[in-house]
Amino acid sequence: MFLHNFKYSLKTLFRSKMLLFWTFAFPIILGTFFNMAFSDIENNEKLDIIDIAIIDNEEFENNQMFKEAFETLGDESNDDRIFNIKYTDIEEAKKLLDDEEITGYVLLEEDHNNITVKSNGINETILRYVVDEIQSKKEIVMTLMRSDIAEIMDGAEAKLNNISNKNLSYTMIEYYTLIAMACLYGSMISMFITNYKLANMNSVGKRTAVSPIHKGKMLVGSLFASYVVSLIGIAILFVYTIFVLKVDFGNNLALVILLACVGSLAGLSMGVAVATLIKAGENAKTGILVAVTMFGCFLSGMMGITMKYIIDKNVPILNMINPASMITDGFYSLYYYDTLERYYFNIASLLIFSAVMILVSYRGLRRQKYDSI
Amino acid sequence: MDNVIEVKNLTKEYKNLKAIDDLSFEVKEGEILGLLGPNGSGKSTTINCILSLLNFQNGSIKIFGEEMRPDSYDTKSKIGVIFQEVAVFEELTVYDNIDYFCGLYVRDKQIRKKYVEEAIELVGIEEFKKFYPKQLSGGLLRRLNIACGIAHKPKLIFLDEPTVAVDPQSRNNILDGIKKLRDDGATIVYTTHYMEEVEIICDRIIILDKGKILAQGTSDELKKNAKIEEKITVEVAGMEEDNIETIRQFENVENVSFDSNVLIVTYKKGENNLGELIDYLRNNKIKYDKIFSERPTLNDVFLELTGKELRD
Repeated sequence: MFLHNFKYSLKTLFRSKMLLFWTFAFPIILGTFFNMAFSDIENNEKLDIIDIAIIDNEEFENNQMFKEAFETLGDESNDDRIFNIKYTDIEEAKKLLDDEEITGYVLLEEDHNNITVKSNGINETILRYVVDEIQSKKEIVMTLMRSDIAEIMDGAEAKLNNISNKNLSYTMIEYYTLIAMACLYGSMISMFITNYKLANMNSVGKRTAVSPIHKGKMLVGSLFASYVVSLIGIAILFVYTIFVLKVDFGNNLALVILLACVGSLAGLSMGVAVATLIKAGENAKTGILVAVTMFGCFLSGMMGITMKYIIDKNVPILNMINPASMITDGFYSLYYYDTLERYYFNIASLLIFSAVMILVSYRGLRRQKYDSI
Repeated sequence: MDNVIEVKNLTKEYKNLKAIDDLSFEVKEGEILGLLGPNGSGKSTTINCILSLLNFQNGSIKIFGEEMRPDSYDTKSKIGVIFQEVAVFEELTVYDNIDYFCGLYVRDKQIRKKYVEEAIELVGIEEFKKFYPKQLSGGLLRRLNIACGIAHKPKLIFLDEPTVAVDPQSRNNILDGIKKLRDDGATIVYTTHYMEEVEIICDRIIILDKGKILAQGTSDELKKNAKIEEKITVEVAGMEEDNIETIRQFENVENVSFDSNVLIVTYKKGENNLGELIDYLRNNKIKYDKIFSERPTLNDVFLELTGKELRD
């Protein structure tokens, strides 16, 4: 009976154009759109190298932190260097500035730093920002040297150990939310198939309800088929995002797959809950699932990473109940952190979410007689 | 003959509305029982209660001698249901739909294949096996609906208005199929709006209204028990109100109506009425054309019992 239901559920699902669009085509279309929109943004955000001069006086030679910082920022072998630096005396620097060959020059003196620029623009602002940052870091180091460094370092160590040196492109978050959306769109598949098993929702449900098979047995085969179809959709999306859109999901493929599987399970359970608890037509239920999923993805940063930070900071409880946020954060932690603590926390949260969804649906799923149909 | 279905004192209420009111009846093995009633009379509700789909407040239901419950899987395996709404998967072909539903009852693939082919042949949709439901006409869709409900060769079949919105060719095909199922030994409970269908195929009829049984018996028994025995219909050129009133005073007249030059007179007893009426028309120089004298139809019985046409 399991195989009979499984086989025909697969046939039913692969013939539903509406489901194929939402679960297979839509995420790929959206991913392509993201790629077109954000790759330009990232390219445009790459800064031009700024020509500056640094007055090579005694103060500069003695200020090791400034010296090392500018050596790094102006290192010609570094593709990400910000500055093209000329080390010169003040007369030469003034001449270069007058000739507009540099944006500005930095003169370190004993008690303060002078930044001389000719106009106010982005390059001038960056130069000021960098010098201020180096200065502030220098002050922190001086403070630490006066404190019990061992004690401070012990407290910080745990946090620092978790963070890798990777730079997270914010467009990565968009792609992670895209995968989360695809996982949760699996809810439409399970809603669709569960509807066919409920006598109070659907005429086919009435027919299956009078058959000599326990509803639970029929549902298991059909929901397993839903899960398989959902995972196939996710797999196609992964292949597309990794090989076509060049999205980096980190090195641990097994954990990436595990997260996608658990995320799909959350989507599946959400679909069962909507099918069972909401007495409405199939189109209305589809609308509800699309709206809930998109809102969840919006809160987890799909339409701008700022939203994710706002929610993290102000209403963190929302992230605890938003499956899109759990999935997005799972991928984020897998990519960004060297330890798996946060990843497993998200996996556990998704499993709890799935269990709660199935529990609230249980009464409706178990029901065999109705007051009206 | 054994009772296949026994319904005793069944009562079903929706908030303040009594959909079924202390209903009791039996269905005997091998018979076709017709449930007749206007919309909202409780036909479908009765079937849904019998099938254990609906909760009810009072009463008992036995099928094949066993109390019917949602988990009466042995009993359910002998039942086939054709619901009023077409209940098929839009995404599966005709063949796959029938195979899926048959597969819920018959596990052996070879036997199932044979049963599915036989069901397709029974309802006459051999040419449409690979079609999807949306490619079928209303009549073919109804035939598919029936095939899905009877492919597993059930001993008891419920057909809830299976011929609604069906073309005459499909209707004849469906009725022939139902008679064949009865001939093969199935017991059938049949609800319909079409009086002529009931007269053609039902062995026994129950007339329901407001959840109560108004009458039951064979078609002839119901007609015999009716207040009227003869109905005379006359096409006349015109009539005065005085003439109608005079006819109303004739012996045994139950009712007189005159509309669009058609005079209809119904009689409590059916002897010498036609001659008396023709004599009156001649004597009063009322021109008449066609005259029909007939026994009351089931429709007249229904009208008399419920006070409304079946399709009101």
